[in-house]
Amino acid sequence: MRPVWVVDAAVVTALGADVETLWAELLAGRTGIRAVERFPIRSYGSRVAALVADLSAAPGRSLVHDLLERLLSRLAPLPADAELLTASTKGGIDCLEPLARGELAERSDLLFPSLLDEVSSRLGLGGEAANVNAACASSTIALARAAGRIACGTAEEVLVVGFDLVTEFVFSGFSALKALSTEPCRPFDRGRTGLSLGEGAVALRLTSEERARRDGRPCLGTIAGWGVANDATHITAPARDGSGLILAVRRALAVAGIGPEAVAAVSAHGTGTVYNDAMELVAFREVFGDRPVPVHSLKGALGHTMGAAGGLEAVVCLKALREQRAPPTAGLRDPEPAAQGQVAAEAVPFSGSFLLSTNSGFGGINAALVLGHRGAA
Amino acid sequence: MNAPLRGIGWVTAAGAGRGRAGEPFAWEAGVLPRLAGHPVFDESVPRAGRMDEFSRLGFAAVALALRDSGLGEGREKRPVGVAASSTYGCLATDRDYFDTVVPHEGRLASPNLFAYTLPNCFLGEAAIRFGLTGPSLVVSERRPAGLEPLRLALESLAWGEAEAMLCGVCDLPAPAGLAAPQALPPGAVFLVLGGRPSASGCEPYGEVSVARGAGVCLDGAPVDSLFTLVANALAARARSPGRLPRCT
Repeated sequence: MRPVWVVDAAVVTALGADVETLWAELLAGRTGIRAVERFPIRSYGSRVAALVADLSAAPGRSLVHDLLERLLSRLAPLPADAELLTASTKGGIDCLEPLARGELAERSDLLFPSLLDEVSSRLGLGGEAANVNAACASSTIALARAAGRIACGTAEEVLVVGFDLVTEFVFSGFSALKALSTEPCRPFDRGRTGLSLGEGAVALRLTSEERARRDGRPCLGTIAGWGVANDATHITAPARDGSGLILAVRRALAVAGIGPEAVAAVSAHGTGTVYNDAMELVAFREVFGDRPVPVHSLKGALGHTMGAAGGLEAVVCLKALREQRAPPTAGLRDPEPAAQGQVAAEAVPFSGSFLLSTNSGFGGINAALVLGHRGAA
Repeated sequence: MNAPLRGIGWVTAAGAGRGRAGEPFAWEAGVLPRLAGHPVFDESVPRAGRMDEFSRLGFAAVALALRDSGLGEGREKRPVGVAASSTYGCLATDRDYFDTVVPHEGRLASPNLFAYTLPNCFLGEAAIRFGLTGPSLVVSERRPAGLEPLRLALESLAWGEAEAMLCGVCDLPAPAGLAAPQALPPGAVFLVLGGRPSASGCEPYGEVSVARGAGVCLDGAPVDSLFTLVANALAARARSPGRLPRCT
């Protein structure tokens, strides 16, 4: 298989709209989770989320356009043959809210083909494009498909764009499921009570090594392995035995051609719900045995950004590999017993060439990426 | 990348059917059949009553395709995945869900409806019922033709992610005022690609392939949509009916 390089990346998050700012905020242990003022929340089980500051929209339009423009304006020009894979769970769903209340709104904002047209046109891409929807593993799976296509020679360059908004639609839904934490979420903490929603957007440009060298593009890191599996257990709850995640991780390690001992740290899904975090710890114990591999979660800092989550976590992993330290798990106070010695509220230095990043979601889906440092074997 | 086409199942406005049962295939605009009492929703699918209409549609076509393939309908876990395309996804369920939010400022928001506001949830339902542990995802194509899930399925097979892949499309009628240009007619059509011959005992309909720059082909002939592929596969079967023994 051909090496897959990441040659460009951009982010828009509650903690900043460039990778360096985001990294500095993460290292400082800050959180972007704050009181929500975008829509009425008094009926819901939480009052906090991680929102991107000052997103705006024309009357009747979705905020997704502003979010995407802030992201895409940061990308270097792309070749016309680049493929586009977006990853979003609900796109411009905020336009459904006024429609349901009998108000006017642009209905095409609800359709992914329209958003794909918008992104393609904005970037000058004329080829086929698709949006991947696999719940909270969407951008991880989009990255896996993109990497696989480049590695196997069926594509030279693929842009992956992940994005999702915090809307009343999703906020009320997770509240109805009683999945929201009343305070900023505390992944892997003994006292965790649920997740905090977040919004954001992320873009990663994947290229074959050959083309990247030809074009003189920098290597931010590599996507060395990927794996996807369904746990076939429940549509909204994780399999307690971690079977789907274990399958996905082992598949990713096999594609990368490495054993678990080569993984220096893990970027977990780490939503802060009791069952997700427990499932992940079971899976990591099965894969890594007694070795206390460092585990971190970004959800306490960025909230759960749904379709963007895996992409944002991949960007941070690549930065962590270059810096050789894993970011803190914001919100962590008292690690749950199974996570003792693995999670930390401070940055954790490590020495290694590979990080593992995992996500899981509704529908029983699990996905894993092995991110590599440039030059990693 | 190529793989044998082993099963075809569908639910369209013309009815529900599968290739080896000899039922006529048509895929045009119209009213979809009610699926509540369909035999695929027997006691082995206890959550059928909770599923939204979109999930029921997709689940039924997946079940029919799997039955047609002869790969078995047991619950034991197996490395089989599903890739589906949808233009509108679960927008109808989204609307139903948000209608439970509006009247009482969210206090009576339905958690059951919200659980189906992701279009990949019917893949989860199928995974639970049929033990499908391979990759599962829904895509929305920029130009809906139903071919992207075939490409995804062939990739997963070529990369060794699954022994067999279900792939197809699932869409309810366009919500009012939301018709997307070039959208396929409502309905769900699924294929089974790959799988071990000894497991199915069925001769395949043909060989589906995709090559860089060449698009999707059936037995080497290019197809421009999933509809064309299914129609051509069934026409070939009709020309030589003895070629494809019944599986069940």
